[in-house]
Amino acid sequence: MKLNFKTREAMVGYLFAAPIIITILIFTIYPVFAGLYYSFTNYQPTEAQKFNMTFVPEESVSFHLGVFPDEEGLVKNELLSLFDPVTFLTLDMGVKLNAEQKEAVSSFLDTDKIVEDFLAGQLNSSVSVKDFMKEYMSSKSELFTRYVPEFVGLKNFREMFKDRYFWISLKNAFVYSIVVVPIQTLLAILLAVAANMKIMGQRFFKTVFFLPSISSSAAISMIFWLIYSKPGVLNRFLSTFGFQAVDWLNEPNTALGAIMVMNIWTTAGYFMITFLAALQSIPSSIYEASQLDGAKFWKTFWKITVPLLRPQMLFVSIMGIIGCLQVFDQIYFLIKNMRNITISYYIYKNAFEYHRMGYASAIAMVLFLIIFAITALQRKLIKEESYF
Amino acid sequence: MKKKLKIGMIIAYVVLILYAVVSLFPFLWSAIVSLTPMRYTENGVTTGTDIMKWPPEINLFKWPPEFFGAPATGENYVQVFKITPYARWILNTIIYAALVTIGHLIFDALGGYAFARLRFPLRDLWFALFLATLMIPGHVTLIPNYNLMVRFGFVNTYYGLFLPKLTGVFGIFLMRQFFMGIPREMEEAARIDGASIIKTYFKVVLPISKPAISALAIYIFVGTWNDFLWPLLMTSRKEMFTLTVGLDFYRTSYYTYWQYMMAASIMMTIPMIIIFLIFQRQFIDTGVSSGVKG
Repeated sequence: MKLNFKTREAMVGYLFAAPIIITILIFTIYPVFAGLYYSFTNYQPTEAQKFNMTFVPEESVSFHLGVFPDEEGLVKNELLSLFDPVTFLTLDMGVKLNAEQKEAVSSFLDTDKIVEDFLAGQLNSSVSVKDFMKEYMSSKSELFTRYVPEFVGLKNFREMFKDRYFWISLKNAFVYSIVVVPIQTLLAILLAVAANMKIMGQRFFKTVFFLPSISSSAAISMIFWLIYSKPGVLNRFLSTFGFQAVDWLNEPNTALGAIMVMNIWTTAGYFMITFLAALQSIPSSIYEASQLDGAKFWKTFWKITVPLLRPQMLFVSIMGIIGCLQVFDQIYFLIKNMRNITISYYIYKNAFEYHRMGYASAIAMVLFLIIFAITALQRKLIKEESYF
Repeated sequence: MKKKLKIGMIIAYVVLILYAVVSLFPFLWSAIVSLTPMRYTENGVTTGTDIMKWPPEINLFKWPPEFFGAPATGENYVQVFKITPYARWILNTIIYAALVTIGHLIFDALGGYAFARLRFPLRDLWFALFLATLMIPGHVTLIPNYNLMVRFGFVNTYYGLFLPKLTGVFGIFLMRQFFMGIPREMEEAARIDGASIIKTYFKVVLPISKPAISALAIYIFVGTWNDFLWPLLMTSRKEMFTLTVGLDFYRTSYYTYWQYMMAASIMMTIPMIIIFLIFQRQFIDTGVSSGVKG
């Protein structure tokens, strides 16, 4: 059988595209929907783990009933009357229960069998909560094998609007972008204009300016931790001009600013390359004409250079805003004060330190909406741009 | 007229040199600190070195040169390997970055070609979907991906590190853009000669795609080498750390081992600088076309 070319092309097309399609579906598309679902629940990973926790049933029963299994004269029925399934699980096994689980435990926990095995000395090996419940629940044991987060509707979002730290972190992320992006863009243009003159060592400057952007944010953060530290070089340097030493990263008023400066330092040289390439494609006759007119440098800069760089500026600032709104690494390494955190760090903190993944997902969804709006705006602006 | 131009040039040089100093200073400073011994002995008296001393008393006319009044030493670099499993971290980082880069090279190129040249059902729909995923911030997919890895039991394994990173929409766009720019004639000629699509791809298309592929490789390798958040989540055992995650090991809430931390920072930066110096052209080209760093 010989397939025609079109069929073969389609098959090869899918063969080639399959790895990407699968990866994107699993690691990008599924997580978006999963995250959306989490954001309406009280998802707590610690809750999911509690069923895998192991314990020795004999000890728990012993605690619960206040007797030892090898004691003389234990009567099964007497022990049974003492046995309270809910307190046994919550206090003696240490498993937190919701209303549904409580009800299931009080109706279906096979206390008879537990006490019998306890007296027979068969409970002395370590077992996971999951397996224990499978064994000793006469019904509904699935409530204890799979963790299903509770659906809480819009609770997370309502909580968010009352959460001080949510607003602080969101505000910080915006302040961060609004300060960093224009300064780094302007600095990058200035450097590009300077490097675009007929100067010696252009290659050297390009290389040096690019260096910060290929270094890891982790290493850079640590280097600046040294520079910004209270007895550090920055304070020593400033003290020669009579300034008081400032604990740059611990002082709530200066910490975010210090990190902004660091970020500008990291990215300005990188974006300079973008602008330099654009400048080099501008015909020099435009400049020569303006110089013959005797136009001053700043006038040339504002009237000619900046308008010509408009597309690149738009690109650099939108990418800059999106990047800055998500700033994380630098905050993780350098910020020790909750007043200076940004939103992506707050998401991380909720998800992985407070173990509140439902709430963290809800905040992530808000960040998603913000970035989405900015990207949509970018698309619109760039479309308009292409008409010129 | 001429005078004005000269003043412009002088200003340009001043700006460039000043910023070059600003750009280099943090690296030089941390290098100096990393070469300063923790303590040193003079006239039989051992004292701790004050790396915060100002001015730093640099004397380069001696051998070994002196920083902060103490002779430079490579001891901190040796110590980093002793007090932390730094060699293992280097290995982990290389494995992580290499696997991710290889994945991108294979899958992004294949996919980029499929989307650039081959017609298959729902192609445009898939592509629109990919385009849409560019708007998704990393923190949205982070939590579900983490849970996925936990469920697979991939935490603290290389699988957990590299699997979600094997391909990316950015690389697919880059490769697609490149493939769309190359003339179709060569592929058509190969096909007329009876070569299959797969054969055409490997024998005709790939060999002329080296510039794009190497640019992508460098971009991804450097990005993965410097990646921090994902390895932070995926590793909790010291033996599985990458270099970026391990860096936090040299400070406690009470004390920071500045010299070790700077030695570790410098060591993880040097390979990137070397790669950059070798492949400058590719860097600067992809830099222009992509233009983003978090």
